[in-house]
Amino acid sequence: MDTTHLIIATTFAPFVSFVIAILFLHRSPRLAQAIVITGAAVALGCAVQLWLAGPVEPLRYLWFTSGAIELHFGFLLDGLNLMFGVVVALITLCVIIYSVGYMAHDPSKTRYFALLAFFEWAMLSFVYAVDLLQSFIFWELVGLASFFLIGFWYQKASAAEAARKAFLMTRIGDVGLLVGILVVLMTAGHFDIPGLLDPERGLVARVAPATLTAITLLIFIGIVGKSAQFPLHTWLPDAMEGPTPVSALLHSATMVAAGVFLMARLYPLFLAAETTRSIILVIATVTALLAATMAMVDRDIKKVLAYSSISQLGFMLMALAAGSLFAGVFHLITHAMFKALLFLCSGLFIHHFATNDLEQIGQAGGRSMKLTTIGLLVGGAALAGVPPLSGFFSKEEIFAALGHGSGTVFTIAALVVAFLTAYYTFRMIFLIVLPARFEPASGSDEDAHGSAEPWTMVFPVAVLTVGAAIGGLWGQQIAAALNVQAPTHTLGSMLPAIGVVLGGIGLAWVDFGRGERAGFLSRLPALQTLFSNGWYIDTLYRAVFVRLTNWLATLLHGVEVKGLDGGFDQVGFGLLRSGDGSRSLQSGWVQFYGGCVVLVIGAIALYVGMGG
Amino acid sequence: MTLEMYLLLSAVLFCLGLFGALSQRNLIAVLIGVELMMNAASLNFMAFNRFSVTDPSTGQVFVLIIIGLAAAEVAIFLSIILNLYRQRRTIDPESITELRY
Amino acid sequence: MTAETIVVGVFVIVAVAGAVLAVRSQQILHNIIGLGISLFGIAGLFLQLGSPFVAAMQVLIYIGGIVVAIVFAMMLSMAMTINPPARNLPKTIFAAIGSGLFFAGLVGLLSKTHFVTRPTAADEAWAVSRIGNALLEHYNLVFETLSVVLLLAIVGAILIARRDRTPA
Repeated sequence: MDTTHLIIATTFAPFVSFVIAILFLHRSPRLAQAIVITGAAVALGCAVQLWLAGPVEPLRYLWFTSGAIELHFGFLLDGLNLMFGVVVALITLCVIIYSVGYMAHDPSKTRYFALLAFFEWAMLSFVYAVDLLQSFIFWELVGLASFFLIGFWYQKASAAEAARKAFLMTRIGDVGLLVGILVVLMTAGHFDIPGLLDPERGLVARVAPATLTAITLLIFIGIVGKSAQFPLHTWLPDAMEGPTPVSALLHSATMVAAGVFLMARLYPLFLAAETTRSIILVIATVTALLAATMAMVDRDIKKVLAYSSISQLGFMLMALAAGSLFAGVFHLITHAMFKALLFLCSGLFIHHFATNDLEQIGQAGGRSMKLTTIGLLVGGAALAGVPPLSGFFSKEEIFAALGHGSGTVFTIAALVVAFLTAYYTFRMIFLIVLPARFEPASGSDEDAHGSAEPWTMVFPVAVLTVGAAIGGLWGQQIAAALNVQAPTHTLGSMLPAIGVVLGGIGLAWVDFGRGERAGFLSRLPALQTLFSNGWYIDTLYRAVFVRLTNWLATLLHGVEVKGLDGGFDQVGFGLLRSGDGSRSLQSGWVQFYGGCVVLVIGAIALYVGMGG
Repeated sequence: MTLEMYLLLSAVLFCLGLFGALSQRNLIAVLIGVELMMNAASLNFMAFNRFSVTDPSTGQVFVLIIIGLAAAEVAIFLSIILNLYRQRRTIDPESITELRY
Repeated sequence: MTAETIVVGVFVIVAVAGAVLAVRSQQILHNIIGLGISLFGIAGLFLQLGSPFVAAMQVLIYIGGIVVAIVFAMMLSMAMTINPPARNLPKTIFAAIGSGLFFAGLVGLLSKTHFVTRPTAADEAWAVSRIGNALLEHYNLVFETLSVVLLLAIVGAILIARRDRTPA
């Protein structure tokens, strides 16, 4: 198969399976599952083949022309896209296979799998897009898929509200992105990504620095929304209402990564806009620190992982803003693998123990689930940055990039983030693996669902465990794909990183590995309350924006009901009343009718007789 | 008397009959008004017959026809009045309002 | 002031006075009598206008037939014994305005029109035999149609005015 067929198969196989499932297979969920898995497998196979074939010229198809503007859609097949496409396809396939076990007892399986296929289509089309408008369209479709999947159990009010909140908050960011894209059109006259990035004829060469700053800043607003950075981050913890495989796929590895990916995709623009990069650095650092503090105190396993995702995305953006494309993308890929792994393990715990609470899972015998615990340990260690797992290498690159490209403040902040990351990750691990006491629920490993660790759920975990463990070895390949040089590091430069990691693990052990399992923060209740309420940011949003919007909506609704609607109704009533009034002319009196006739004729005769 | 004066007289009689037909509260009085109008018209014909026509038998035939038709019409009108009186015990045109809204 | 003028004037006054009586009375019998008087006056004017035959027909048919029929209908409908309903003032004013307007229009038309007058025809042309000839030759269709109309009127009047027999 040649490239065109491969890329079309990669992006459209999931779409075909989505259409088939959603239209025809509502009564055959097992067949729908099989079809969606097939679609995802085809996508993965073709994506791998494309990657092995190496970068090629982009494919473009003319969509429409409007005056001097030509809009294409098509596929861009350079190193970054090919690599990330494989990552997305792989993780999606793992999640789909995992979902077979996780959603085994759900009544709406077809809808779930169809929506996963829809998401995969949108995400892959976004990754491989050649035209900025095309990528925006699929960016929005990805957000739509997220809405449907977060609110999958829509009968639950909290889930429906979380889905709405996610959609609206990312929409706020999308406005900025759209305006940015339109400014690109105004200045460059086209949306073609390779054309925009060309060093001689692209945006960097053609627009003023101020305009470039504006464009990149607007695009960054979109990234803030999609990748849940401060101040648009409060939707991601709520998005945990969705099924855990969805959290693994969308809200750790792929969808929220789309924002970071977009920045990587348009990196030459950002590289040239220094002001924007400074702003991004500040916001990303704030986000990383903020989210890490919130993860330290939460008792819900999925929320801890959600805050962790926010923090790690900030980390990636810090690296990109400091000037190293390689560090950001490397961490993006490794994070995708170990975060997805962590979510899938948490899903196994949740599925078996029917609770999200860390302490309850631990006390009910979490560590008796052997394979899951291994996955949890590997993933957690990778997240914390323990060598020689993948996370250590990617974080090392980030520290190096920050050291070169930004001030010491940010490097120190990054080290603090790494410390906190190690702390909260191992807090989670110790609470599950070394609980204060054992209170296993009655019943053994077997439960009504069959084995606690069905092979459909364990196999993807195993795959991702391997990926998280050895992912660090792919650094060279990733750098080559990005056409950059992978920097070398001396042992000395790696020491601070190792130091903070060990420090974090040690503090976590002291707090949660023994004794009464209470964190040091419990002795600082003010801080504990601040962190566990999310620094009151969400409360602030609710009190101000939500109430303001509700008030405005009520006002406008009143205007419409009484004013517009009422106005039209009054016109109608007025007509009715005037009709009633003129009805009295139809009195039925013949003499009155005759009199009217005479009156009219007399008037005419008078007119003719007197003047006319 | 000139032609115009006869025409004026017939106009006066016509309008008096019209007034009666429109304002009376007794159907027979309405009939009387209608008869007056028809007579005014035949007076008109006779006036023209005398002053403006070459063959005077034309106007006279016309008036005879009018008188005949008036007779037929009165017959119908009166039978309607009788029927109405039998059903409603009134011959007031204001009480016949079936065609009201 | 010739005798002719006086005679014409008398007839005019009779006609108008009768008409006024016919439309202004409250009692129905007064209306009918007023009609009769007016018809007499008009018959006199017909005579003056040169057609004794038509005058005679007017008296015979109109007064002798139609007015008498009206009197019969009045008696059959007990119109004499019913209390006459009160005059409806708005209706009267409305009718007055209508007919007044119409009269003003007619007068205006009259004054604006130039009537062509011809000298009166010779006496032979006024003979009754001429009328007969005209009816049976020239205006034959109208004559026959009139008889059909009269027949229909008779049948219609009988139908409308008969007492319905309810099924036994």
